[in-house]
Amino acid sequence: MSDGRLHTILIPAVGGQGGGVLAEWLVDAAVAAGHLAHGTSIPGVAQRTGSTTYYVEIFEGESPPAFSLYPVPGALDVLLAPEFMEVGRAVEQGFPSPERTTIIASTHRLYSIHEKMPTGDARYPAEDLESAARAFSRALIAFDALAVAREHGTEVNAVLLGALAGSQVLPIPAEAYRQAIRAKGVQVDANLRGFEVGTQLATQRPALGAPDGKRPLRSAPGFAGALEPMPAPLRPLVAEALARLVDYQDPAYAQLYLRRLAPFVGPGGDPELVAHVARSLALWMTYEDGIRVADLKTRASRFERIRREARAGDAEIVVTDYLKPDLDELYGVLPHRLVAPLARWAERRWPHGRPTFGQHVKTTTVLGFLRLWLLARLKRWRPVSYRARAEHARMERWLSAVRRCLDRDRALAVEVARAAQLVKGYGEVRRRLTGLVEDLLERVLRADALEAQAGHDAEVATRLAARYRALVLAGPEQEPRAVALAADVVAALERGDRAAALAALGDSA
Amino acid sequence: PGSPAGAGQGPGPRAPAVAILPPLCHNVADRPAPERAPGGSREEPMGERTFAEDVKQLGYGAGQVLRGEGILAITKALLQSGISYVGGYPGAPVSHLLDVLADADEPLLRPLGIYFEQSGSEAAAAALLGASINYPMRGAVTWKSVVGTNVASDALSHVASAGVIGGALVVIGEDYGEGASILQERTHSAALKSSIPLIDPRNSLPSFARFVEEGFGLSEACHEPVFFSIRIRACHMRGQLVCRDNVRPAISMLTPLGAPSFSLDRINLPPATYAMEAQKFERRLPAARRYIVERGLNEHHPGSESRIGLVMQGGLWNTTVRGLHLLGLADLQGRTPVPLLVLNVLHPTVPEELLAFLRGKRQVLVLEEGMPNYLEQELKALAHEARLDVEIHGKDLLSPHGEYVPQLVLRGLTRFLEGAPLEVVSPGEVGERYRRLVGHQEGIRRVLPRPVAKRPPTFCTGCPERPVFSAMKILREREPAVGDTHVAHDIGCSTFSTQAPFNVGHSVLGYGMGLASAGAVAPNFAKRVISVMGDGGFWHNGLNNGVASAVFNQQDSVLVILDNGYAAATGQHHVPSTGTNARRQPTGMTIQEALRGVGVRWIRTVNAYRIPALLGTLREALTTRDEGLKVIVARGECQLERQRRERPRRRQLVAAGRQVVQPRFGVDPDVCTGDHSCMRLNGCPSLTLRPSPDPLRDDPVASVDDTCVGCGVCGEVAHAAVLCPSFYEVRVIHNPSRWRRLLGRMRRAVIARLATA
Repeated sequence: MSDGRLHTILIPAVGGQGGGVLAEWLVDAAVAAGHLAHGTSIPGVAQRTGSTTYYVEIFEGESPPAFSLYPVPGALDVLLAPEFMEVGRAVEQGFPSPERTTIIASTHRLYSIHEKMPTGDARYPAEDLESAARAFSRALIAFDALAVAREHGTEVNAVLLGALAGSQVLPIPAEAYRQAIRAKGVQVDANLRGFEVGTQLATQRPALGAPDGKRPLRSAPGFAGALEPMPAPLRPLVAEALARLVDYQDPAYAQLYLRRLAPFVGPGGDPELVAHVARSLALWMTYEDGIRVADLKTRASRFERIRREARAGDAEIVVTDYLKPDLDELYGVLPHRLVAPLARWAERRWPHGRPTFGQHVKTTTVLGFLRLWLLARLKRWRPVSYRARAEHARMERWLSAVRRCLDRDRALAVEVARAAQLVKGYGEVRRRLTGLVEDLLERVLRADALEAQAGHDAEVATRLAARYRALVLAGPEQEPRAVALAADVVAALERGDRAAALAALGDSA
Repeated sequence: PGSPAGAGQGPGPRAPAVAILPPLCHNVADRPAPERAPGGSREEPMGERTFAEDVKQLGYGAGQVLRGEGILAITKALLQSGISYVGGYPGAPVSHLLDVLADADEPLLRPLGIYFEQSGSEAAAAALLGASINYPMRGAVTWKSVVGTNVASDALSHVASAGVIGGALVVIGEDYGEGASILQERTHSAALKSSIPLIDPRNSLPSFARFVEEGFGLSEACHEPVFFSIRIRACHMRGQLVCRDNVRPAISMLTPLGAPSFSLDRINLPPATYAMEAQKFERRLPAARRYIVERGLNEHHPGSESRIGLVMQGGLWNTTVRGLHLLGLADLQGRTPVPLLVLNVLHPTVPEELLAFLRGKRQVLVLEEGMPNYLEQELKALAHEARLDVEIHGKDLLSPHGEYVPQLVLRGLTRFLEGAPLEVVSPGEVGERYRRLVGHQEGIRRVLPRPVAKRPPTFCTGCPERPVFSAMKILREREPAVGDTHVAHDIGCSTFSTQAPFNVGHSVLGYGMGLASAGAVAPNFAKRVISVMGDGGFWHNGLNNGVASAVFNQQDSVLVILDNGYAAATGQHHVPSTGTNARRQPTGMTIQEALRGVGVRWIRTVNAYRIPALLGTLREALTTRDEGLKVIVARGECQLERQRRERPRRRQLVAAGRQVVQPRFGVDPDVCTGDHSCMRLNGCPSLTLRPSPDPLRDDPVASVDDTCVGCGVCGEVAHAAVLCPSFYEVRVIHNPSRWRRLLGRMRRAVIARLATA
């Protein structure tokens, strides 16, 4: 009994992305193409960077339809998403359907605060979003519209509008879209540029997935001999590590690294374990003291990168670095002999939050640059510095813990090796996190010893190490839970109540 | 830090960003009022968007076709109804109405003699309707409901009691359900208690226009003010309307009243009040019912499925007929064999109409949002009294609460129809269609095993309110003895601080109620408590019910006022301390003077972007021996508004070849170790994650994206909380002067010799 044909389009956007303009372009284009169209939105607070949606209906036919103000799950023709996690959200709410919906989306991510806050990597898995977009669409056009927009000096929504036109799922000729963009009269040239690029991309159906942005692994000239005995798959990683250590200190320092790594390599060495140790040891040995920071901040490549990222072109730039070392970091770079007494006193005097020395250094001025450059020259005294001693002592404790566990159980050794992932941050943050690593090692070794006495395998210790690390990576709010959990588990084992220990680990999940 | 002198000035070198984009001019102490208006100059219209095109369309005459949002059609209909005055208090979803009228004041309203104001609060707006009590003037006011209606209730009850002789319309933005920003209640009960007719029209621009005009007729017929309720999405729905001419009011600023009109019957005092109550039920509501029937405001669509029927609020018509269409029982135009009763007027209902619809039906479904389900109850009562053999369903098949979105309505309709005595289609087919529609949803968790991360709204990039809450969180974590205290929060953008990453704020009790809601906590709390207020809330309700009351009762606590120059949450609407009113007339009112006026002695004004100053001032306020109320005013212009002004200006200057310094921030990806502490104290949208370029690191590192406006807060936070040395500010100097270029060349030459690759 129905006459005419209805097309429904949902635009799930992040507030501030220009989803409203996109919806208005679409409505105006549809009208320009001679159709009846209506659109609506739920702005309000969501406009302030929350998830917000815009909905458009386009009607081909004579007598006006009863427009719906809401998208209907399963009755959607186009999902036009300027951000990729919002595709996932729309799928979660049941809007797109495999039978009917064409999904046109930008694959770039605007991370939610809940993905940003944890200490570890809490980004929502892109693979899941991609498979959801595939599974819940009859056709999928997805590419990084933000990268495209940046490249062509335009906006994501213009590129997406182009992709929509290019997909030809709607009865609207390209010219009608252009007309709508012109009629709106904002940034017309840039938007038309974006529109054209989007149109082409839609017809080319580009592949998903962005480059991981990793620096290529370096080689380590002069260490060929040392690398020879290593298992082949491991060599690139160790080469990178050696290059890093030479850059950080000197070849001798790299040799020390090799000596520390030796016990884990060689015949019978477990590849997974070695990989973890090699990686974490390299990172730990190149800990970020004042000297390292000054060194990194005074490199030519850094100023090039800053120019590039600021799109400075031929403009002048002035870089101001926000530095605020605390007392530890200051005496940390001085010779141990000299400052040990002072340091011991300071640590008693200020158990938490040592005095800090805030400064704003204009690194692009000669004097500002020199301040950091001279600090970086202290490099040669680093080996005898107070900080060096403390850090290497910690590394040794960690390595010996891994070795000890390796005699007992391979899986346990891997988990203990991975604990070094928690060594992060500066000043107070780093003190807090390294403190947790030490606590983790102590508790896990104790748990293991107790299990060994009781003639059990290392299950509790292994699971404790993994759980502890996971909790710390979830963020500071979870750290007390990790400490408490470890205490409970060890206490349970001391009571000889292994079941309780396992239960604690179970329900702490 | 913390001394008013140190803080009040523009930021020093440590807040570079604000130093360059000069701070909100009213940051600089004691400027004369007119200059204090950030958006105050005439060429800068108030509000989130400018509405030149909309204003033009409001001037359209008979036959011209207006294209725009529902709220614009309503505004046009007001002008077509010959109003003498219009006012209101902004709030989604009806802010647009005031925005457009503010822009239309000079070109359109004044020439018609129509008085326009953005009232100080909904109470003030409701009181405007008093003009229609004694004089045959049509007038309209608007606000966000239900919160606005609550604020307006006192004046509203008085108007409804005295009654009106000129048509009085209240355009209610029913902020209920999906996308709502307030507590969830419906306005229906307010209409019932005050005997105010309630219009809830079906959704299309022509329908909105028609029912605005009928609203005035209804008001004049029954001598009551009338609620015109419109939903969020309906306000923003874009469509078209064939216009009529605007009507010049008989009584206006151009043709003013000469003499007052007095009648004891209109004074809300006994014995008149008893007579008024009687009138409501003996004359006014009956008159309203007659008008509703005569004008056919409610729609009865008969259909061949004569044994069933649907009764619905007018506003639910679109969703309902779309639901019927998807279930194979209607076409796209909404023609359906199922009989419908569409109630565009929810109060008063017309029992005869309802009974006429019920007669001969076996089963009826009522689609009515929220609780109590007044319509369903009334229908059941009527059916019972009339001894009708009809099953009436409603909340048993549909949700008792929440907005009636399609998924809900479809499920309810399917349940209803599957058990209904259908004649044309088979119930089985209905169920089959429904299952086809929702079938795909079973597979969702297979592809998305983890729930998609929530995206709570937060402060915009560069918002001056963020650093205030960064400071409060830093103080809470670093000095819990002082900073970990109760925070009584308020309504406005600032409410976002209750969300991640700050979670600052223990209660939210209403607009301008921050301080008042600390009244009984402060004396019963071992530490000094803090309350927060935006400048919007301060002027709306906070000065009187918060500050004056706290001083009056000698409350010893700390109040933080976020002075960003506007009611920012509603779209940068002017407040008294903006410097100009909605009509761009200078006001010369300041928060500090108002505070002094009600007897606050301890007042500190801090630049919101300077976290050390904020920390110092907060610490001082929380620990000082001075008792009584201590007020900290944190100033910084709404960044949204500032960027709207600055960006184009900057583009022009750069294009014109002038030297322009533009700051932004960055993170050295090799220096950042990816512990994300900065995110937990900041949460700026432009401070985000990127994969570490370091092949040895797996966890992502911090990064500042292109949307950065260079406000400097990330650097200030890293500094104040002693996080890490990764942050840097880069000032890009476009079109550098010759001297700048030379200097740059020399510096680069020296650095190049020393720098390693």
